[in-house]
Amino acid sequence: MRTASSVVLVAILLPLGLGQFWSYQLGLYALYATAAVGLGLCWGQSGFLPLGQALFFGLAAYLSGLAFIAFRGVSAIAVAAMPFIAIVSGGLAYAIGFLVFRRPSESGAYFSMITLALSLLAFQIATTWNSVTGGFNGLKGIPGLPGLDDISDVYYVSAAALLAVLALAGWLFKAPIGVLWRALAQNERRLQLFGYDTNQLKSVAFGVSGLMAGIGGVIYAPQQAIVTPQVVGFGLSADLVIWVAIGGRRSLLGPVVGTLLVGSLTAQLRDTLPFWEVLMALFFIVIVLVFPQGITGLAEPLARLLRARGARPPILAAKNSTDRLPARLTLDGVGVRIGEVTILDRLSLDFDQAGIFCVIGPNGAGKTSMFNVVSGELATASGRIGLGETRVNGLAPHRVSRLGVGRKLQIPSVFPDLTIADNLTIALWSGRAARLQLFDPRLRRWTSPVLEELKGRYPFLASDARKAAELSHGEQQILELAMALLTEPRILLLDEPCAGLSPDETSAVIDLIRWAARRLGGATIVIEHDMSLVKELAELVYVLHNGTLLAKGSVAAIQADPAVRAVYVGGEK
Amino acid sequence: MSACLAFENLTGGYGSTTIVRDLNGAAAAGEVLCVLGRNGVGKSTLMKLLFGYLPCRVGRVLLHGKSVDGLDPAARRRLGMTFCPQERPVFDDLSVRDNLTLMRNNRHLSPFRSYFARFPILERRLTQHAGTLSGGEKKILSFVRGLAEDQPVVLLDEPSEGVQWENILHMDACIAEKKAAGAAFIVVEQNLAFAERIADRYLIVDQGRAILEGTRSTIDRERVLAHMHV
Amino acid sequence: MDPLIVTQAINVLYAVSTLAVLALGLAVIFGLLGVLNIAHGEFVMIGAYCAYLIQSWEWPYLVALPLALAICGVIGWAVEWIMIRPLYRRPFDTLVATWGLSLLLRKIAEGIFGLGFRSVAIPLPGTVDFLGTEYPIYRLVLIAISLAVVAGLVIWYGSSRTGSRIRAMVSNPELAQAQGMSVRQLAAGTFIVGTCLAGLGGVMIAPLAPVQPFMGLDYVLRAFFVLIVGGLGSVLGLVSGAAVIGGFDSVISAVTTTTDGYFAVLVLAILFLWLRPRGIIAHS
Repeated sequence: MRTASSVVLVAILLPLGLGQFWSYQLGLYALYATAAVGLGLCWGQSGFLPLGQALFFGLAAYLSGLAFIAFRGVSAIAVAAMPFIAIVSGGLAYAIGFLVFRRPSESGAYFSMITLALSLLAFQIATTWNSVTGGFNGLKGIPGLPGLDDISDVYYVSAAALLAVLALAGWLFKAPIGVLWRALAQNERRLQLFGYDTNQLKSVAFGVSGLMAGIGGVIYAPQQAIVTPQVVGFGLSADLVIWVAIGGRRSLLGPVVGTLLVGSLTAQLRDTLPFWEVLMALFFIVIVLVFPQGITGLAEPLARLLRARGARPPILAAKNSTDRLPARLTLDGVGVRIGEVTILDRLSLDFDQAGIFCVIGPNGAGKTSMFNVVSGELATASGRIGLGETRVNGLAPHRVSRLGVGRKLQIPSVFPDLTIADNLTIALWSGRAARLQLFDPRLRRWTSPVLEELKGRYPFLASDARKAAELSHGEQQILELAMALLTEPRILLLDEPCAGLSPDETSAVIDLIRWAARRLGGATIVIEHDMSLVKELAELVYVLHNGTLLAKGSVAAIQADPAVRAVYVGGEK
Repeated sequence: MSACLAFENLTGGYGSTTIVRDLNGAAAAGEVLCVLGRNGVGKSTLMKLLFGYLPCRVGRVLLHGKSVDGLDPAARRRLGMTFCPQERPVFDDLSVRDNLTLMRNNRHLSPFRSYFARFPILERRLTQHAGTLSGGEKKILSFVRGLAEDQPVVLLDEPSEGVQWENILHMDACIAEKKAAGAAFIVVEQNLAFAERIADRYLIVDQGRAILEGTRSTIDRERVLAHMHV
Repeated sequence: MDPLIVTQAINVLYAVSTLAVLALGLAVIFGLLGVLNIAHGEFVMIGAYCAYLIQSWEWPYLVALPLALAICGVIGWAVEWIMIRPLYRRPFDTLVATWGLSLLLRKIAEGIFGLGFRSVAIPLPGTVDFLGTEYPIYRLVLIAISLAVVAGLVIWYGSSRTGSRIRAMVSNPELAQAQGMSVRQLAAGTFIVGTCLAGLGGVMIAPLAPVQPFMGLDYVLRAFFVLIVGGLGSVLGLVSGAAVIGGFDSVISAVTTTTDGYFAVLVLAILFLWLRPRGIIAHS
C-alpha cells in the first residue's frame, strides 16, 4: 500500500515541478509505458519475449484515431468506444498467443520471431493502405479528447491510464495467476504435471499485455492528433524491449522507470550525442547478460522496506473438483518408440489394489519412460493406458494430471525462485481452483488438512517466506513430494524419491511415503535402485528389462528368479 | 608398480546431489580394475568423474602420478586416456567406418585388421550407419574404436552389455593382449562371469560407497554376488 | 516457349535460390548449434555495406567478398566467444542476446552511414538472351552462384572429415569430447561459417536491394520462415523451405502486391508451425 500511494503522489506532483515541456513529454512516454508494463508481464514474469509489442499499441491508436475522426463533433461516442478498442487489442494478442503457443517450441524463439514479423507486417499495411491509414504520412487531424485544453490536463489523462494499468498489473502479480506465470518461467514442465494448461496461461498473459498496450494506444491518438506507421512498427517495438530491460523487467515499476527515464532521455540526446544509440545498445546487451534486474534492481533494498508485510489468516481450500477415489492404473501392450529405438515393448502392467509397489530394472529398462508415457509426455505407438475406465494415452500432460496422476520427478523439481508457500499453494490450486478464482489474491492463503498435517511433520514447510532454492537437496525432495501429495492424486508415481539423501533424510521420506499411501488409499508406484529401500517399502516388485515386464512378485520371489539374476549378474548364455 | 591411473577419496555427483563418496582405486600398467555393483550405485558417475565430465567435489584423479583436475575430457584423451561410455556408445549418424576412423589421421583400415578377424560383423557392416546396428554390435564397435586408440589407460563402461558370449570371449582376448603390452584398464561391469575372466582387482560399490575391495585371489565371490544381485 | 512464362519461371528460380543462400547461414547456426541468431540479417547488411564501400572506393566488385567475409568472420568469432558460448544451455537468453547484437550492429551502421538508402550499382549490367527471353545477366549469375554455394556446402558437409566431425559433435557431444574433439573450436567455427555465409549473401544481393540499416530484418524473418517450413534437420528441408517460401512469395507478389505476398508467407509459416512443427521433411 505504501508503495502504491507514493507512486500516485509522485505521478500527481511531477508536472508541477517540471514545467510544460516535460509534462508533455512525460505524458507521451506514460502512454508508451503502458505497453512497456505489458511487455514486462510477458518477459519478466512469464518468461517469453514478444518482439512486436508496438503492434497492439499502434492498432489501438489507429482504431481510436479513426473513431475520433468518424465521430468528430460527437466525441462522446468515440470516448465510449475506447475501452472496447483496447479490448480488441487484447483479444488479438490472446488469439495470436493461442495460435502460436499451441505448438510447444523449446526456446520461445518461434513466438518471438512471429511477433516480430507481425509488427513488420502491420507497418507495411499501415504504410500502404492509404485510404484507411493515411499511408506513410499517417492519420492526421484527429480531434482531441473533449474538455481537455491544458497540457497538464493531457498529462493527467496519460498518468491516469498508466496508473490504471499499473493497478491491473499489480493486482495480477499478486493474484494466483501471477504466481503461476512466474512458475511457468521457471519450470514449465513441472507446472504442466500439476495439471495447468501452460499454453493457456501464456496466451492469457499475452492477451493482458495487448490490453495494456491498447489502453495507452487509445489515448495516444486524440492526444497526439496524428498516428503514423512508426507507432505500430519495429522501431517502437524495439525501443520498448530496451526500455523494459534497462528499467528492470521483473519488477512492477521497472518498465515504467525504463520508459520514462531512458525513453525521454533518448529523445533529447539522440540528435546531440551522435553515438548515443550505439551506447544504449551496448548498455542493453550488458544489462541483459550481466544485470537482469535493471535499474530498479538497484532500488530493491529500498523497495523491501516499503513493502508492508503482515501475516494474514489462512483460508481453507475448496474441495477437489474431480472424484478423488483411488483408481486402477492399467498398461495394456504399451509400445513406445523414439525414432528407430524401441523404448517400451508391449508392456502390460496392472495396479489394481492400493499399496506401495516398486519398479526396478537395469539402466535403459524403461522405468522412467513408463512414468513419462503414463503422464502423457511420451506418445504410445501401440497399446492402451487406462486410469479406471478412462483411456489416458493421447491426452496432454496437464489433462492426465487433472485426472489424478501425481508425479514426483527423478531430479527434485520445484519452482526455485518462488517461496515455499507459493510452491505449496500451486499444488493446492490444481484441480480445486476454478479459472476465474485464479484472479483472486485470497487464494494465496489457501490451506488444506493434508497440508497442515505435512507442516506438522516437516516444520520447514511452514517457513513461508523462504525461497525453494535455499532448501537443501533433501528438503527439496520432501517439498516436491509434499506438493505431489497435496493434489491428492489417485495414483502416485515417485521416481527415485530417495536419490542423494542422507540416511536420516531417507527414513524421513520413507515415513512420508508410507503415510501418503495410507492417507490417499490408492496405488503408489516407486522407481528405486536401492534394494534395501525396496525391501522396506514394497508389497510387490515389478522388474522391467528392455522395455517390457520381466518378472513380478514379492522381493523374495524376485531374488530367486533366475531370469532376474541373469539380468543383474550376467552369465554365459 | 606405479599406477597408471589412480583415484583418491573421490566424491562427486550431479548438481546438488552427491552420488559417489570417498572412492579409492588404481590400475597399474598391465592391470584391470573391475568396478562392480547394481544399477544406480554410481559406477557410471565414477567413470564420468575419472574422465572429466563431472568435477570432483573432493578427491583427485592421478594419471601417471599427476593430477588431471580441471582438465576437460578432450584434454584427458590427449594425455593418454581412452573412454568408451555406457550410453550412446557410437555416432548413430555416421557409418561404421567413419566411427572407427573419425579422429584418426586417415581413413585406412589396416590398424583394425586384427580386430576384424575377431569381430567379422564390423567388417561386414562398414558402410552401414552405426544407428542400424544392434545394441551389442554398437558395443563391439565402441570397444574396437577404443582399444585401437592404443592409449596407456582405457576406461570401459559396461563393454559387454548386450554382447553375445562368444564375442565377450573375444573381448577378453583383446584385453589380455593389451594388458601384456602394458595398458591399464578400469572396467565397469555387471556380468560377473566376464569380470572374473579379466579382473586383477575388484572394487564393489553400493550406494556410492566402496563396499568391498580385493584382488583376484582375495575376493569373496559370494559377497560380490550378494551386492550385485537384488 | 512463351517468353513470359520463361521470365516468371526464372524469377521464381532466382527468388528460391537466393533465399536458400540467405537462409543457409541461419540454418547452419540454428540447425547445428541450436542458437537462433536474430542478428543474422545484420550480417547480411554488413555484406551489403561492404559492397557499397568497395564500389564507392571504385575497386572491383569482387573485392567486396573478402572484405565482407573478414568483417563477418571477426565479429562472428568475437560474438561466439563473448555472448554465445556462455549461454549455450540457455536458449532463451541467447535469443535476447542476439537480439541485442542485431540492435547494436544496426545502430552502428546507422551511426556510420545514416538512415538513408544507399544504392549499389549492378556489377554486371545488361540482359542476355536466355531461353528465348531477355533476362538480366547479374540475376543469372546469382542463380548460378547460389546453386553452387548450396550444393558445394552440402557435398562438403556430407563427405568431408570436418563435416563428419561436426555431425558427430552435434548428435553426440559427450562421445565427441571423449574422442578428443574440441567441441568449443568446432562450435566457434560453425558459428563463424554461419555469419560469413550471411555476409556472402549480402554482397550478392546488394545491387538488387536498397541498402539501409534496417534491411536485415526482412532477411532474417524470411530465412526463419524457410526453416519453419523446411525443418531444421536437412539440406533437402532447407531447399524445400526456400522453394515454398520463395515460390509462394514471388507468385503472390507478382499477382497482387508485395504486402500481400508477405502476409501470405506469414500465414503459411504460422500454419506450418501449427500443423507440421518439424517442417515438410520431418526429421526425427
